[in-house]
Amino acid sequence: MAGIAGTWMERWRRTLRDPALFATVLVLWVFLVLFILFPLARLLGRTFLDGGQFTLANMAAILQDSNHRQAFWNSLLLAALVGLCGTVLGFLYAFTAVRANLPRGWIMILDACSILPLVSPPFTTAIAMIFSFGPRGLITYHLFGIKGFTVYGLHSTLFSETLTYFPIAYLTLKPILAAIDPNVEDMAFSLGSPRWRVFRTVTLPLTIPGLANAFLLLFAASLADFATPLILAGNSFPVLPTQAYLQITGLFDLKGGAVLSFVLLVPALVVYLLQRYWVGRRYYVTITGKVGAQTTIKSLAPWARAPLLGLCLLIAAAILYFYVLLFYASVVVALGANHAWTWHHYEVIFTEGLKAIRDTLIIAGLGMPLGGLYGILLGYLVGKKHFPGRQTMEVVSMINYSLPGTIVGIAYLIAFNDPPLILTGTALVIVACYVFRYSPTGIRATVALLQQIDPSIEEASESLGASSGTTFRRITLPLIVPAFFAGLGVVFIRSMTAISATIFLVSINWTLITVRILENMTELSLGPAAAFSILVVVIVFAMIALISSLLRRFRAAGVVEVTSILGG
Amino acid sequence: MSAVSIRIDGVSKQFAHRVKGEVYAVRDVSLTVQPAEFVTLLGPSGCGKTTTLRMIAGFEQPNSGRIFIGGQDVTGLMANQRNIGFVFQNYALFPHLSVFENVAYGLRVQRQSDAAILRAVGEVLAMVGLQGYEQQFPNQLSGGEQQRVALARAIVIRPRVLLFDEPLSNLDAKLRVHMRGELRELQKRLDITAVYVTHDQEEAMAISDRIAVMHQGAIVQEGTAEDLYRRPASEFVAQFIGRTNLLSARVLAAGAAGVEIELASQRIRVPDETARVAAGETVRVVVRPEVINVYAAESGSGVPGTIVSRTFLGEKAEYQVQVGAEILQVTSYDPVRRGTFAPGQQVRLSFPAEGIQLLRGEAQCRRP
Repeated sequence: MAGIAGTWMERWRRTLRDPALFATVLVLWVFLVLFILFPLARLLGRTFLDGGQFTLANMAAILQDSNHRQAFWNSLLLAALVGLCGTVLGFLYAFTAVRANLPRGWIMILDACSILPLVSPPFTTAIAMIFSFGPRGLITYHLFGIKGFTVYGLHSTLFSETLTYFPIAYLTLKPILAAIDPNVEDMAFSLGSPRWRVFRTVTLPLTIPGLANAFLLLFAASLADFATPLILAGNSFPVLPTQAYLQITGLFDLKGGAVLSFVLLVPALVVYLLQRYWVGRRYYVTITGKVGAQTTIKSLAPWARAPLLGLCLLIAAAILYFYVLLFYASVVVALGANHAWTWHHYEVIFTEGLKAIRDTLIIAGLGMPLGGLYGILLGYLVGKKHFPGRQTMEVVSMINYSLPGTIVGIAYLIAFNDPPLILTGTALVIVACYVFRYSPTGIRATVALLQQIDPSIEEASESLGASSGTTFRRITLPLIVPAFFAGLGVVFIRSMTAISATIFLVSINWTLITVRILENMTELSLGPAAAFSILVVVIVFAMIALISSLLRRFRAAGVVEVTSILGG
Repeated sequence: MSAVSIRIDGVSKQFAHRVKGEVYAVRDVSLTVQPAEFVTLLGPSGCGKTTTLRMIAGFEQPNSGRIFIGGQDVTGLMANQRNIGFVFQNYALFPHLSVFENVAYGLRVQRQSDAAILRAVGEVLAMVGLQGYEQQFPNQLSGGEQQRVALARAIVIRPRVLLFDEPLSNLDAKLRVHMRGELRELQKRLDITAVYVTHDQEEAMAISDRIAVMHQGAIVQEGTAEDLYRRPASEFVAQFIGRTNLLSARVLAAGAAGVEIELASQRIRVPDETARVAAGETVRVVVRPEVINVYAAESGSGVPGTIVSRTFLGEKAEYQVQVGAEILQVTSYDPVRRGTFAPGQQVRLSFPAEGIQLLRGEAQCRRP
């Protein structure tokens, strides 16, 4: 024990000797406490305290309402189903992409279609669902003449969320399947296994940790999803995030909202812990040491290729159809009733809606550099420096990212509505929410890049006479710059598309495009909603193009790839 | 600039180990490297050789002891104040800089003029045979080319000493042999003091003026390759350098004329005057495989044995020969002309006295 205490003291002493490090750590902790721990503490306080006394009365009051209890079970059911369907779909997609010997062109098409839902505002599939299957839906009403088909409920929420979130499973499973050396399968073939048996006894078992991980990621995404159920679930299928929202905006019951979001916190936490500590340790990392001999992948019988590809293309077509439909809806007078060509909806969003566009761009523009800087700074400290509380800092920085947006939004609402810190109604609170919720991508990218920089590279610089400042400026910094761009890109994209947390934080002074889309949807002005959505998709794609070209420039100079600028 | 010496004086380094607590990586090591000498630290992994090298470079601080470069005490100096050239095992090239900028890095740190940098980098790249590669990036180069860039980057700053940390271990066998020749030649041409770390005894023997064998954090023997091979001071050195048979022998008589021992029922007079042994003692003796002569059983004299296995390697044949309870390694050269023996065949062995070395017990490690 003396040894441990000794190293701890040693670390303190070293930290105090480096005033710049000490100051940075201190400042970061102030922000982490203020924007992550403090709101969460206030949320828990609202849930469990009454006049300074611990109480379960609030909890009991909310849980007595059978509607709320139903919402809890509905949330779990929906999340489990989305997890299951999305994982199956993602596996199908990933298996076809890496194990079917497809020409590169096909794989690029699959990739492109699967990225669309990830970077779109959360309503796009939901809106398109209404257009297709709603009361006056293109497919149900116009194509098949079905009257009285109800689009609202579990079935369409499930369908929409599966289509929106299965790319997460695809992106999780693809590298895992690709990492399975075909030589391992060849080995099984050489021992006399038929294809199906090889798949069942070799390929699938090696993918199981990945499947579990994909399931949990989808489960968490669906559990946290607010926008889709708000539009598609309807009254008959309440879920927790929408219930919490309605409790606050409809009944002005902040306490009830707090309790409901706490109820949501419990399964979210369980899933997070499972994912991090159970699945995370079950990957078969090094299956083979050296890269095996080149071999043709024989996992799939030739006759099975076409049906698999066909299935994947069908899903891709469905996604594309939704986007084309959305665009079409934005340029006709009223989809389903009057298909005359018009720019009117765009005129509306650029006049009445201009404030939302301007506000969103300002907020995203402010959050972008702050988020990038915060991510790279915290990532550098956590990944490279030794100071007391380093691991705690890393864990705390991830909290807002891992929690469902509804919880974060309600926590911010409770925390910054009263003194000492009244931020409600300002742009600052929205920016802070985005920065602390979406910078962890940048933090992780920074840490990952730092891990790939061998210590000897910095020692080489030192041996050539460079001071530690020069080494940081000329070697370390250029090597982690890609993480900076990835981090600010994600903050920008999420600032354009997210709604679950910030819907609680908008005001007359500062509003967001996504919130305007929701308002348009409830007012049934679907044209402007579609136009807004298209605008967001265009801006986001422009941003992705810009950032990938920047990242490519750095990659060309031999810098390792930041795997994805997406990922939540 | 003329070459400088390196002196390590009683240096120790401890590390905090998670399970074992404080452990010594290097324990009381002293070593002097003469100006322009090429000295290799040789030992198995974990023997402390790399830690010693990193302390000379200034990447690690010793817990005790002092380090001198060119007579100057550099113990407290950081690596960037020592003016050294260090070649890393993984080359540690800057992945975001071109070959030219990698090599120019140290000169830019010194704020040299662009013209001077252009000239110096051009010269050094020519020296390592990499003209025309200036604009390439490290990930576009082969392992051997990366190795040359690392070398060029280390020597372009005209360091006082060159330090190598297993620089050839990532190359394939043929290239490794070729590069070690180049390294040695370059070191001579630059007339620079060099310390080299490797676990490959053949590499150490081929490249060094002198070898320091390290074991468990200490230098157990120093000397030229020939010294170490002919007169290993311990069982560890005998087994680490070359192949060996370690046998027990009884001392029959010891005196000024040498030591008479009984080895596998043969009486042999070993011309070793320094051995402090007395009659009746049992000693360990080193007999190299190629020293032992092997004859057909009919030839009469010698110790009888049975061939257990034979490996034909072209210029030599290697046998395992059963003698009594022991199995001896025996190497026989030019098997094409001299013929070979088949497994199971009865043979006779003889041990020439001049090829036999008595061990002086582990405790008496030689120190300069």
